[in-house]
Amino acid sequence: MNETSIRQMFEGKWTQGAIPLVLLVALLLIIEIAAPGFLTGETVSLLFANTAVLFILATGVTFAILLGGIDLSIQAVASLASVILAQLLPSLGLAAFPVAILSGLAFGTLSGIVHVKLRVPSFVATLATGGVVTGLALWVSNGRAITIEESGRENTAWINAAVAGVPVVVLISAVIGIAAFLALRYTRFGRQAIAVGAGEPAAWAAGINVDRTKIIAFAASGMLAAVAGVVLAARLSSGSPVLANQLLLPAIAAVIVGGTAITGGLGGVARTAVGALIISIVRIGMTFVGVNIFLENMVFGAVLIAAVAITIDRSKIAVIK
Amino acid sequence: MLNASGIIKNFPGVQALRDVSIEVRPNEVVGLIGENGAGKSTLMRVLAGSYRPDGGSLTLDGEQLRMRSPRDAARHGIGMVFQEQSLVLNLTVAENIYLGEEDRFTRFGLVNWRAMNAAARRQLAKIGIDIDVTARTSELTFAARQMVELAKALTLEEVVERQLLILLDEPTSVLNAADIEVLFARVRSLKSRASFVFVSHRLDEVLAISDRVYTMKDGAVVAKHRAAEVTAPELHEIMVGRGLQAEYYREARQLAPRDTVMVEAKGLGANGAYHGVDLNIRAGEIVGIAGVVGSGREEVTRTIGGFLQHDAGEMKIAGDTVRFASPEPAVRKGIGYVPRERRLEGLVMFLSIAENISLADLSSVMRHGAIDYGKERRLAADWIKRLRIKAPGPDAACRKLSGGNQQKVVLARWMTAGSRILVLDHPTRGLDVGAKEEVYELVRDLSAQGVAILLISDTLEETIGLSHQVLVMRDGEITARFDASPGKKPNQVDLLRAMV
Repeated sequence: MNETSIRQMFEGKWTQGAIPLVLLVALLLIIEIAAPGFLTGETVSLLFANTAVLFILATGVTFAILLGGIDLSIQAVASLASVILAQLLPSLGLAAFPVAILSGLAFGTLSGIVHVKLRVPSFVATLATGGVVTGLALWVSNGRAITIEESGRENTAWINAAVAGVPVVVLISAVIGIAAFLALRYTRFGRQAIAVGAGEPAAWAAGINVDRTKIIAFAASGMLAAVAGVVLAARLSSGSPVLANQLLLPAIAAVIVGGTAITGGLGGVARTAVGALIISIVRIGMTFVGVNIFLENMVFGAVLIAAVAITIDRSKIAVIK
Repeated sequence: MLNASGIIKNFPGVQALRDVSIEVRPNEVVGLIGENGAGKSTLMRVLAGSYRPDGGSLTLDGEQLRMRSPRDAARHGIGMVFQEQSLVLNLTVAENIYLGEEDRFTRFGLVNWRAMNAAARRQLAKIGIDIDVTARTSELTFAARQMVELAKALTLEEVVERQLLILLDEPTSVLNAADIEVLFARVRSLKSRASFVFVSHRLDEVLAISDRVYTMKDGAVVAKHRAAEVTAPELHEIMVGRGLQAEYYREARQLAPRDTVMVEAKGLGANGAYHGVDLNIRAGEIVGIAGVVGSGREEVTRTIGGFLQHDAGEMKIAGDTVRFASPEPAVRKGIGYVPRERRLEGLVMFLSIAENISLADLSSVMRHGAIDYGKERRLAADWIKRLRIKAPGPDAACRKLSGGNQQKVVLARWMTAGSRILVLDHPTRGLDVGAKEEVYELVRDLSAQGVAILLISDTLEETIGLSHQVLVMRDGEITARFDASPGKKPNQVDLLRAMV
């Protein structure tokens, strides 16, 4: 390997993807040094299980961010899905799952359509959709948490089970992660989404259907938010209109910390997986050193700002809005 | 008064100014001519403080100048009237004239608008222009905006103690003949108070207004003359600087077009931008459209590329009637658009060469429903070899390539997508001479393969040299058509007569 190719490697996409991974390993090492024996199979499995919901949520929002947009409705959509699941489990049984997930698909699609057809910036479109969805969830649930009773729990037990020692939630997030990874890397939609995020006018001029690509991305984001909400509801045996309320910030932080550019066009699901683990470990670490749980989001907010400030080359951006 | 010597300015991959020296004397209009890409605008930006030179020195009245921004330049009495107009359209005339200078009218943190309007009115009166200073700039004509820009530049004399130097960067490109006369009259009457540097590529205008003329080519000053001692054809020869036009544009390779009509427009019109446009492009034919800014030729090309919908007349692509709402259906119809804004609309700069080449037709690199990265890379490597694209490899990001190589990637993309019709919107803008020749070579190749080409270009020579047929547009209409087969090329004067 000659000198220029080494330099290119450090300037290129490769390092941007590697830094979060190095950070993750460093965090694990710190934990191992602070508490030897912490990193056993059991705790790692627990770490993954605790990261699952965050990762699914973050995977969805990765699509929106890769396009150069953002989806602020995910916590509302996830909460609504939890409410729908808890409401419908007694009457519909397992069929409550697809209904809850489809609600997310529907509201994600709605956000996408509002964004592209009415030409509303995605943060406004999804903020508004999120408001509508939260209102709906509050109305449907009468503003209260709905406990999933014994009868319903039969149908959610499988989510809390384990297959060959691996928790089902970890399997679910693995399947979603792999599917999203393949969709972004190997399909027409994935390539076009990245092209739109990296340079929308050029992508448009090259004949890409930008509107359709964006709608699909927001639909995916909504659907995955609902999946996260459903998994969360099953784990907590409860649906609530505020169930996922503290998850928007960590989810976006996970995407950015993982190395996906907030400006779009660069990044992916593998990075989000790393980012989600980092956020999860930071959360565990905070509990470990005794940081008040209410201060968590303060830390995540600071982490998000730091990650964006470090990664963006702002000299190339003329106007920051 | 102003002395620039040995100015050097480098941009990634290109030396925009190499050892440029010019001098501006008091009460003088200095003309600066050159083809697009010769370095005129770069030099102006250096003089205006927008660019910092990489070498050489600037002195003003013997005093060394070190300017970091246009504001510094303004403090030394150097003002610029921009080529792309720099007014903020939703502000009023007065607000624009004193943009950034509001402090002068501010008391207790509040702007005294009445004082500002009065001052603006005085400025406009000085150059003899009657414009309502409280009007929104967007309501003014281009010509009036140009006058406002001039007035704005002249406000410097209110704060600077010395004679002003006003830089006029292609101020006439958007003006009609009558407005140009008005502008020139102002410049002449202002000569007692300021010196001017006037940039244009219209030689007659430069000779009419200037005392002395510098000619630039490929980033260097190649000649200086007293305006009275040189003629436009002489300057032209120096400026273009090559003997045989025919060879430069590969005229020997211009083959007769085929019979199939690929693009057929009848009575085409859009949104007041153009109307009644009849146009036929056959396979293998290059049709050039000449016209000034605002003639409607840009909009015609945008319509065929799918960026602007027509609302009158009919357009047929390969026999099918179409009306494009976006570029997507145009691309599916086999149309490839090569935009002038290469960095914005041409390529996704942050993606690799390989990703850009496959972008318009991903199916060319898909296998079993998935993108085959190996195939994509091989395809790109193949194009890199065939078009002699200078790049480290298929994975190199397009933003790191020079303009000429970027343009080749755009063309490779459309060839991959199998485009049978290409719209070339200023295909050689910003390219150096060598890169231009390579593009001409490629255009001839494509034409020989039967691709139908619509061309609009910065220079008339390029339009004439490349095309089989040249249309001239003015005020949204086609005003003349010229056969441009080899040996029968029309001359520029005929075209110009139909343009203005």
